[in-house]
Amino acid sequence: MPVGSVILAFVLGAVIVAVTGGNPFAAYSGLLCGGTGLGCQGGENPALQISTTIVYVIPLITTGVAVALPFRAGLFNIGAEGQMIAGMMACTAIGVRFSSLPAPVLLPMVLVGGMAAGALWAGVAGVLKATVGAHEVVTTIMLNYVAQWLLRYLIIGGPLQVAPGTSKSLPIGAGARLATILPADNSLIIFGLPASVYRVHTGLLLALAAAALFAFLLWRTSLGYEIRAVGQSQRAARYAGVSVARTIIVTMLIAGAFSGFAGAIQIAGVDHNLSDVYFTDTTGFDAIAVALLGLGSAVGIVLAAILFGALHAGGAVMQADAGISGSLVFVLQALILFSIAANFVGQIRRLIPGLGRPAALPPELPPAAPLMTEAADPPPEPA
Amino acid sequence: MAHKRLKFLGVVAAVLMVAIACGGGGGGGGNAKQYKIGLVTDIGGLNDKSFNHLAFVGLEKAKADFGIKDDVIESHNGSEYVPNLTNFASKSYDLVIGVGFLMQEAVGTVSGQFPTVHFAIIDGAGTDANFNDLKHSNVQSLYFKEQDAGAMVGAMAGWMEKNGKSKMNHHVISAVGGISIPPVNHYIAGYKWAAKMEDPSIQVLVGYSNDFTDPAKCKGVAQSQINSRSDILFQVAGGCGLGVLQAAGQAGVYSIGVDADQKDADPSVIASALKKVDVATYTSIQNVVKGTFSGGALTFSIANAGAGYAVDNFTVPADLKTELDKIEKQIHDGTLTPPADIPA
Repeated sequence: MPVGSVILAFVLGAVIVAVTGGNPFAAYSGLLCGGTGLGCQGGENPALQISTTIVYVIPLITTGVAVALPFRAGLFNIGAEGQMIAGMMACTAIGVRFSSLPAPVLLPMVLVGGMAAGALWAGVAGVLKATVGAHEVVTTIMLNYVAQWLLRYLIIGGPLQVAPGTSKSLPIGAGARLATILPADNSLIIFGLPASVYRVHTGLLLALAAAALFAFLLWRTSLGYEIRAVGQSQRAARYAGVSVARTIIVTMLIAGAFSGFAGAIQIAGVDHNLSDVYFTDTTGFDAIAVALLGLGSAVGIVLAAILFGALHAGGAVMQADAGISGSLVFVLQALILFSIAANFVGQIRRLIPGLGRPAALPPELPPAAPLMTEAADPPPEPA
Repeated sequence: MAHKRLKFLGVVAAVLMVAIACGGGGGGGGNAKQYKIGLVTDIGGLNDKSFNHLAFVGLEKAKADFGIKDDVIESHNGSEYVPNLTNFASKSYDLVIGVGFLMQEAVGTVSGQFPTVHFAIIDGAGTDANFNDLKHSNVQSLYFKEQDAGAMVGAMAGWMEKNGKSKMNHHVISAVGGISIPPVNHYIAGYKWAAKMEDPSIQVLVGYSNDFTDPAKCKGVAQSQINSRSDILFQVAGGCGLGVLQAAGQAGVYSIGVDADQKDADPSVIASALKKVDVATYTSIQNVVKGTFSGGALTFSIANAGAGYAVDNFTVPADLKTELDKIEKQIHDGTLTPPADIPA
């Protein structure tokens, strides 16, 4: 189903480009070049394009996991963005405050600090859901705003602002930074460009580890079994002796930790300080699409994150080389998501007999709409 | 699980195949030296009716005049500044233009990595993380003498107060600044100086909102100025300043826009003080094409047609028009020099 959705989105996107007077072949050629470094005609450096794509992929993997895990428990976590920003704020605060500590001490501190802050952020929604039944969609969306405005306060007039009239924090200490995979050196030439332009950093390994941990947690631990049990049927889970309230809270805490981890990795690996850049960030929302497209599996999330990261990086090249607005990327992303949510491909198959069997829904994960209604049921009393 | 993985490999493979199959078109090469100019917008995008739009206008004019190859990338969020600038720089463009001070640090980083590529940045410099100008010799800063533009609208406001053409004629006008930083204070300095020159009895109130984005904050400052009998309000606070224009409209007094022509923002806008980003962009491209590019600051003023004013929802009396033309010519010739610091 995801394959069909992606293809359908690209076909519709091509129609949109053609109708608006552009050349869809040129558009997708630019997109492919920007995302993967293949088939570049504008003189792009393939290694640079791959590096840029990976930089975008890293936070998408970790936040994608943070959406997928609650999904398995029947919870819709729309708050990955806010949880990620919470992780960024904690990471920066610790990294600036203890900037003189050596890396073996400081780096774990900022990463764990970011995870703790993200867990706290999502935990609020989890506790509210488990105790008073506040819908997690509403609470996590609202907590996004709280995080964004707290960030705004911290760096404009607040304690982390570097100087009046600015909108950024001091940089974190050298010991709090994740190394880039290639040395950050302007004079060293690698693949024809200064090595410092390749911003891909060791956070990639952490993000892949997070995805692996997610899969292990879900399929190889009793907690993972409980999470899936609650997601399939809260009544059955309760009958089997699972504490639904506890599972909801723990799920949200872990999900928030993944998001916070994404934020900490982003600060430690790319930005090194908080800035107005994250007033307009959408990573945590793209993560919802990544989790959906990835069908909630670790491998799927990594692949979907690569697709979305490549689209993100490709949009700029498409605009530069083909003159087609990079906003087309958002149209494609929306079409993919829309197509999955509405199960267009399945409908088309059903309508046209002889086109093969109707699309079977993936066995582990019910489609989004029933998931939402199930999650909307009032929670049980805590055991 | 296994079949899912296969499906995903299928997605990737399908996407790659479609795109590779489509990769054949395009191409085309140059014969004579065709200059390649890349423009990177800030998050406002090309249709911001302000700096980004004007930079694009300048780019298009340069394309018509010099036959350059011009390409644009719109930044959708701040994390794209570095990759977008790097995209053009890595392709050895002759000039990469960044719009706005939000891109200062990104321009500083990328210009250090590509010392043979020329960069220009509107209203900023290539800086490090602590806002220190790195003074890279391949970066041209395009600054504006805001006091020239401020003086023109200040002269207009002062003349109207003196000759009883404003709404209440209390000889009180005002300015709302965003944050007390040099570009804002330059505007206000020219405004106050020229208004006093026209009408020595005038009182010029100056307030700051400490914000550039929230219209409500500027509206509050504007309302207190209106309560203090100001009847021409000059906004120098970007998006926040839209609140000034609205407050003036609601109170039935006049307002003056800033940076770009803001006549559509509110009917109360009688004029706008302009930074001609299109002229600056065009000039910077011209320098590269003519081989006269040099690093450091390039300042745009009335003298080089890089600053000025626009008359908006208002019909200027002939006497005022004569007076404004006279002052503009005197500033142009250097017989009048608006101050950079706000006069007492």
